[in-house]
Amino acid sequence: MAWFRFRRFSIRLLALLLGLLCVTLATTYSLVSSANDASAREHARASLELGARLFETAIRQRIDLSSVTSSLMSADDAIKQVLLETPIDTKTLNSTLASYTQRVGAPAITLFDLERNLLGNTRPDLIDETEGPFAYLIRRASEREMPENNGFSYLGKSRDLHALVVAPLYAPYPNIAYWFGLAFPIDRAFAEKLKETSRIEVTFVSTEDIAHPRVLATTLPDASAKIVADAVALGRRTRAQLTDLVLPDVPAKALATEGDHYVTLVKTHDMVAEDPISIVLQIPLGPELAAARDLESFLIVVSAAALAAAAILALLIARGVSQPVQQLAAHTHVIARGDYKTRLALDRADELGQLADAMNAMSVGLAERDRVRDLLDKNVSPEVAAQLIRDGAALGGQEREVTILFADLRGFTTLSEKLPPTDLLALLNRYLDRMSTAIEAHGGVIDKFIGDGIMALFGAPVAQGDAADRALAAALAMERALADLNRELAAEGRPPLGIGVGVNTARVVAGNIGSHRRLNYSVIGDGVNVAARIESETRKPEHRTNLITSAATLAALRDPEKIFPRLLGKVYVKGRAESVEIFAVAAG
Amino acid sequence: MRPLAFVCICAAISLRASATDVAFRLVDAVGAPVADAVVSLVALDAPAKISPPAEPLEIAQNGQEFSTFVTPLVVGTTVNFPNEDKVSHQVYSLSPAKKFVFPLYKPGTRGTVTFDQPGVVALGCNIHDWMRAYIVVLGTPLFGKSARDGTATITAVAPGFYRAEVWHPRLGKNETREISLAASDITARTESFTLALKPDRRIHRSPEGSGGGYK
Repeated sequence: MAWFRFRRFSIRLLALLLGLLCVTLATTYSLVSSANDASAREHARASLELGARLFETAIRQRIDLSSVTSSLMSADDAIKQVLLETPIDTKTLNSTLASYTQRVGAPAITLFDLERNLLGNTRPDLIDETEGPFAYLIRRASEREMPENNGFSYLGKSRDLHALVVAPLYAPYPNIAYWFGLAFPIDRAFAEKLKETSRIEVTFVSTEDIAHPRVLATTLPDASAKIVADAVALGRRTRAQLTDLVLPDVPAKALATEGDHYVTLVKTHDMVAEDPISIVLQIPLGPELAAARDLESFLIVVSAAALAAAAILALLIARGVSQPVQQLAAHTHVIARGDYKTRLALDRADELGQLADAMNAMSVGLAERDRVRDLLDKNVSPEVAAQLIRDGAALGGQEREVTILFADLRGFTTLSEKLPPTDLLALLNRYLDRMSTAIEAHGGVIDKFIGDGIMALFGAPVAQGDAADRALAAALAMERALADLNRELAAEGRPPLGIGVGVNTARVVAGNIGSHRRLNYSVIGDGVNVAARIESETRKPEHRTNLITSAATLAALRDPEKIFPRLLGKVYVKGRAESVEIFAVAAG
Repeated sequence: MRPLAFVCICAAISLRASATDVAFRLVDAVGAPVADAVVSLVALDAPAKISPPAEPLEIAQNGQEFSTFVTPLVVGTTVNFPNEDKVSHQVYSLSPAKKFVFPLYKPGTRGTVTFDQPGVVALGCNIHDWMRAYIVVLGTPLFGKSARDGTATITAVAPGFYRAEVWHPRLGKNETREISLAASDITARTESFTLALKPDRRIHRSPEGSGGGYK
């Protein structure tokens, strides 16, 4: 399926749209084409049925004409004069009939008496029998009366196809005195005349000798007519219905070089005392389909145009989608880089526009969050800020063991009297900054600044296994940092600062303390007071130390080897029954 | 039939001695009486003597019609065809029994033909297509023509074997039946025939001045 994955959306859309359109158009084309073909065949078949009726009508008209002709002939005085003679003068009669052939346009006219003896005949080459097809028709017509007065027969040595009509010579009507027999050939001229009115190819085929079917008359070229005759004979033998036949090109119809399909209809026509003949009516499908082919070529042009239009449209749509998507993708990189100020301007109302708006809103949100976090970082320790962001500012708390560090600046009160307020604050901040750095360097969290005092926590809000170790290390670091600061101050010509640090470890309650509007993460408990109390002990000169811790902190040390405690004694904390052992701490 | 009743009827017929009347009752397929039929009796044992009438018969042309549609007569009878019309006529026959034509003859003149062969002679006029008449030339003196009620009677027929024949212009061929008349037959004999007539084809005479046509 790898080949099916498109790298670009536009290509995918193009392929999809064009593919769908191609399938639709191809289906439409093939449906239209086959419908055209079916309809052309249907139309051709209907035309052929019409042609068959036209043929019957043409024959019927000939017969009717013959009947009218006969009644005119029987009303003619001349023939009566000839027939009044006994015996009849055959030569005169024949010449009378011959003049009738001129007069009425019947190719062959004969006369029979009531006993069906041939009295006169204009075509001895064609008609020489007495008990032949005419006699049969006369007998049938006299027995059953009209209109069974006609039929098809072969006449003459070459057995050419003729339509025969017998009509009475009335003397007077309806008394029949003689019978006229008229014959007209069903030949190429007749077939051509039929074709003239119907545009249908007509072939008359005799299958008397099924092995050698005979073309009696045709409008087709001889070679094509031969194919038709053979097909008819084959159809007769196999009892298959002949509906379609491919014939070589008809002159002036060079539509198909291989020949054209001819929609074919085979009708049979009874003969007088002979096997029926086949009348093959045919219409070439090519001209019948010409209009449909035009339509189909037009359809192809329209399809090509539709495909081109669809391609352009697909590319436009794809561009309309992929461009903003690319912009959106680029914008995510901008946001990922931390640039929340740049806004994505997509001027659209659709889903992509909504996405851009959402991204812009996200930028705003991210910027807001950053700002809040920055503020938080400055106001609370990073650990507290992280915990707030992670867990939310929920009220409540948890009990945990925490090491609390209190630090106080010595002589700040006298200092504050000597220095102007701005210098004082600058000095205080400088001091607090150094102390904070030392505390945070050891994983401590500044809980709050109380004037010049610092309260810091170890083991909260993030639990630390070595909180006591860290707290004492931080306290020692603070001493060193202050020493550094004092050297700087000495260089500046200022008096040195002093510090007192108290450290205690106790179980306290840690959590967000305050109102709904304002919260502080802090710890409360007896241990906090103990820490503050211990810190105040550093002021006593007899202890000779700036750093005091409790036994609880020493007990909580993970690595006590680094610390060298010196017992100072016991102190009592207000509100507490037990005294606390305190130790001075120096670095090992 | 019970013998007593049969005897009673025979007794009634025998009032006319040795000859009897033969009545024909002719109806068509739907039972309607058939007029203008020629009935005849052909004696089978001894041919009856024929004596044509001394005076010629007459079939006049009047009002562009023949005066008589069907005329039965015996062989040897002469018929005059007087033109009593206002127009000329050209009466002819192409029937094998007698072919003739009277070349155009004016009102007041006439043609004359003696019918010497038995058979049916169809008469026409070359000028007026609708004019038609039949002469039935018979070889027997025993004949009659049915009236409008479809009956015809041949009177005083001697006992013997006969072939009763019925001819009508709309019959394909004659209806025949052999009958035997005994000397004891004393009452009129009735022969009923149901005739299968062909459709009545005729040329309708066109009104003067308008175009005519076949119907």
